[in-house]
Amino acid sequence: MRLLVLLAVLTLGWTGTAQARYYDDVIASGVIYIGAYKNFPPYSFEVDGKPQGVDIEIGHRIAEAFGLKMKVHWITPDENLEDDLRNNVWKGHYLDKDEANPLAAKHLADVMMRVPYDREYAFKRDDQGLLINEQVVLFGPYQRERWQVAFDSEKLERVGTVAVFQYHPIGVEIDSLPDFYLTSAFGGQMRKNTHHFFSNSEAFAAMQAGKVDAVMGMRAEVDWQIGQAGDPRYKLAENGFPSMGKQQWDIGMAVSQRYRQLGNEVDVVVERLIRNGEIEKIYSSYNLRYELPGLYQDVAQ
Amino acid sequence: MKKFSGSFAVTALVAAMSVSGVSQANVTDKDILQDQKTVEDVVSNGLGPRGQRYSPLDKINTDTVKDMRPVWSFSFGGEKQRGQESQPMVKDGVMYVTASYSRVFAVDTKTGEELWEYNARLPDGIMPCCDVINRGVALYDDLVIFGTLDAKLVALDAKTGKVKWKKTVADYKEGYSITAAPMIVNGKVITGVSGGEFGIVGKAEAYDAKTGKILWTRPTVEGHMGYIWKDGKKVENGISGGKAGQTWPGDLWKSGGAATWLGGTYDPDTNSLFIGTGNPAPWNSHMRPGDNLFSSSRLAIDPDTGKIKWHFQTTPHDGWDYDGVNELIAFDYQEGGKTVKAAATADRNGFMYVLNRTNGDFIRGFPFVDEISWAKGLDKKGRPIYNEEMRPGNPSASEDGKKGSSVHAVPAFLGGKNWMPMAYSQDTELFYVPSNEWGMDIWNEPTAYKKGAAYLGAGFTIKPLTEDHIGVLRAMDPKTGKEVWRYQNFSPLWGGVLTTAGNLVFIGTPEGYLKGFDAKTGEVKYQFNTGSGIVGSPITWEQDGEQFISVVSGWGGAVPLWGGEVAKRIKHLNQGGSVWTFKLPKS
Repeated sequence: MRLLVLLAVLTLGWTGTAQARYYDDVIASGVIYIGAYKNFPPYSFEVDGKPQGVDIEIGHRIAEAFGLKMKVHWITPDENLEDDLRNNVWKGHYLDKDEANPLAAKHLADVMMRVPYDREYAFKRDDQGLLINEQVVLFGPYQRERWQVAFDSEKLERVGTVAVFQYHPIGVEIDSLPDFYLTSAFGGQMRKNTHHFFSNSEAFAAMQAGKVDAVMGMRAEVDWQIGQAGDPRYKLAENGFPSMGKQQWDIGMAVSQRYRQLGNEVDVVVERLIRNGEIEKIYSSYNLRYELPGLYQDVAQ
Repeated sequence: MKKFSGSFAVTALVAAMSVSGVSQANVTDKDILQDQKTVEDVVSNGLGPRGQRYSPLDKINTDTVKDMRPVWSFSFGGEKQRGQESQPMVKDGVMYVTASYSRVFAVDTKTGEELWEYNARLPDGIMPCCDVINRGVALYDDLVIFGTLDAKLVALDAKTGKVKWKKTVADYKEGYSITAAPMIVNGKVITGVSGGEFGIVGKAEAYDAKTGKILWTRPTVEGHMGYIWKDGKKVENGISGGKAGQTWPGDLWKSGGAATWLGGTYDPDTNSLFIGTGNPAPWNSHMRPGDNLFSSSRLAIDPDTGKIKWHFQTTPHDGWDYDGVNELIAFDYQEGGKTVKAAATADRNGFMYVLNRTNGDFIRGFPFVDEISWAKGLDKKGRPIYNEEMRPGNPSASEDGKKGSSVHAVPAFLGGKNWMPMAYSQDTELFYVPSNEWGMDIWNEPTAYKKGAAYLGAGFTIKPLTEDHIGVLRAMDPKTGKEVWRYQNFSPLWGGVLTTAGNLVFIGTPEGYLKGFDAKTGEVKYQFNTGSGIVGSPITWEQDGEQFISVVSGWGGAVPLWGGEVAKRIKHLNQGGSVWTFKLPKS
C-alpha cells in the first residue's frame, strides 16, 4: 500500500491531495489534515470561510504541538459513524475521483475528531464474528457529551420531567436519538408534540419564532444556541430522560489502523491539553460547559 | 481518454449525423407510443410506455439463438466503474446509453464506435444512497434527457452531446438524487426523485421536454400541496390525499419519505402514469402508527394535471423497508369472454398483485417467492394480514441500552424483487419475474453513533434461504398466480428481463452471463459471459434486416453494499462497464 502511494507520488508529482499517512510522513509534509464535520456548530463550522469550533481549536493545538500547519478535511456526514470512518479515515469516498489524475490517492483525514470513544463500539462484531471497526483505531477521549433540553420560559415555567411534552411542542433534529425517544417512549405519548427539523439550530430558531416551546439536542449544541440567543427567556432544563438508552457518551478521535503511531503521538498531546485545562478553556471560550470523559473521571488526576 | 475541460466533458464527432448512412429523424410522441411495434428503434424505457419489455421480433428464436454471437463491445472506460443498471436506447443507428457516475454515451450501433460522451460534473460532498448508478435516458425531439446524482435533469443535443437545457429537480444537499430513466408522455418529461433517510419527501414532476420548463409537481406524501404552472404562474393544485394528519402522527408527514426513485410506466389506454413510492420515514414503524400514505404504494397520476387518480398501497405501515417502487405493467387478458384491463406488479414484499388499472381495485394477489414471513397472506382488498411477531422491534424496547430482540423477516429488505424490471409476453401471456429468495435478521442496535451523537441504529444482516441459490427467474401466470417454470441462480438476480416473439426470455446474471430461455419451458437456450456481472436490462431492435440484442455489463448496485452471508456469494465478482451487442451471423 505504502509502495503504491509512493509510486503515485513519484510518477504524478505531489498533488497536494491528502491520503491518511504515517506519522513520519505527516511530520515531513509540514501539514496535518484534521477531519471535522461540516456546518456543525459549536464543534466545527465556518464563519466567512474561516474554520471555527471546539474541534477545530483542538486540531490547531495538535498541529502546533508537532510544529505543523493544520488543514481541515471537512466531513459531510453519512448515515452513521461506520460510513464516516470508511469515507474519511481508512478508505475514502467512492465519489472522490480525480478526472485529471486518476491514480491520485483519495482525500482522507490524518486524524478525525468527534468520534465516540466506546469500547463496546470499537470491538463490535458482525454476525460472522468479525470486527466491524478493525480498520480504525478509536482513541484519545477528550469530552463527555449528553442530552439536554432548552425551553422558552414564557411558555413553560420549568421542565421537571419530560412528561410536559405530552402538552407542549418540542423540536428535535430528524433521525436522531431524541427523535426516536420522543416519538416512541411512554407508548408514544409525546409523539404528536414532537416537531422535526433538519438541525438543532433550525429547531432552536423555531423556538425563537414561537413554533415550539422547547428543543432537545446534545448539551454543547444547546449551550451554544442559548449563548448565541443571549436572551434569558431561553433556559436550560433540569429534567432526566427516564428509560432512554444512551444518556451520556465520550468523544475522542480516530486514525487509520495502519497509522497507529500517529494516534499514539496525538493521544499524548491531547492528554496534556486535558490535564493542563487547555481543552476546558476552549469549551468555555464558546460558552459551553465542559465535562471530562469517563477515563479522566474514574482515574484520579 | 480525451482531455476534459470546463464544467462538463463532451467529445463530439460530427460524423454522428451520418452514422451508417442512416439519416436521423427526431423522436416524436407517436414514436414513443408505438415503440413496442416499431422494431427498428427503442425510444422508451421498457420497449413501449407500458414497460412490457416484449418485442415482436422473432429472427432470433429458440431455434436460431444458439448461433447468436457478439458483434461489438463498448467500454465506458475510466476509473468510474461500479454498477451499470442502464437500459440502452436506439434511434437511427445510434445507441444512447448511460453509465455509473451520471455519464451518457452515444455509440454507433453498427460498429460500437463512440460518437460523443457527456460526464456530469458532480458537486463535492454529495451522498447518494445505494451506489452511483443510472438507469438510462429518455429521447425526445433532438434531445437526450437524463437525471443526475445531484438531482438535475439534463437535456443534451442528440447529435453532439452538448447541453441544451438543465433543471434542478431537487436539492442534493437535502439528500435528493436521480437515478431512474425519465419518461416522456405527450411532450412532457416525467421524473421522480431518490433519497435516503434524511427526511425527504417523494414527488413526481413534469417538465416541458423541449424547454425544460416545469409544468406540475405532485408530492407523494399525504398533506403536501401539489402545484401546476399556468401561463408561467405557479398555482395550487390540491393537497395530496386531501389534508395532512390522516394517516401520520404528529408532524412526521413533513418528512415522510415515499421517494419515487424508480420513475414509472405510462398506460396510454387510461392516460395514467403509474408511479411507485418508497418506504415511509423514519425507518422504524413504531414511531409512526398509521398507514402512512402514500408510502409503499402505486399511484395512478394524470399526466396532464398531476392529480392522483387512485392509489394502491402494497405495504401499509411498512416496517421492513419494503419500497413500493416496482414497476406496474399494464396488460389485457380475457376472462369469461370479456377483456380485463389489468396491470401487474411484483412487490419488494414478496407478493405479486394484479390490479384493475382503470380504478386501482385489487383483482388478485399471490406470493412469487417461496417464503414470506412478515404477512400470513392478503385479504379481499389486497391488504396484508400481518404477522405482528415479524415486525422489527419498538425502539423503546431497547431503552435499557441492550441490543433489541432480533426478528427474522422474509423477504429481506432488498425484496422478493427489487428495481430490476420484469417482462410480459403477449404470446405466452406470462410475466417473467426476476426474484430473490433471502431473509434478514433485523434488530435495534443501541451501540451506534451518528455525527458525534449516540444513536439507535437498525442492525441487520441479509441471509440466503438455501445453499444453492438466491436468484430465481420465474414465469408467472397472472390469471392463476401459478408458477409455470423457474430458473435458479446461485447469486441474486439484479438485472431486467426481455422477452420476444422468438419464444425467448433474456436476463443477465451477476456471474456475467447473458442467458436466453425458452419462454414456454424455461430451458436454457443460450449463454454468453460478458466479463462482469450484469445488472442492466437487455433490449432488441432490427437494423438492415438483422435483429440485434444489447445489454450493459458491469457488476454493482445495492447488493455488494450490504454484507452478511450474501456478501460471501458475490465477493469474487468483478466490476466492469461495457455494452455488449449480439446478432446472428449472416447466412
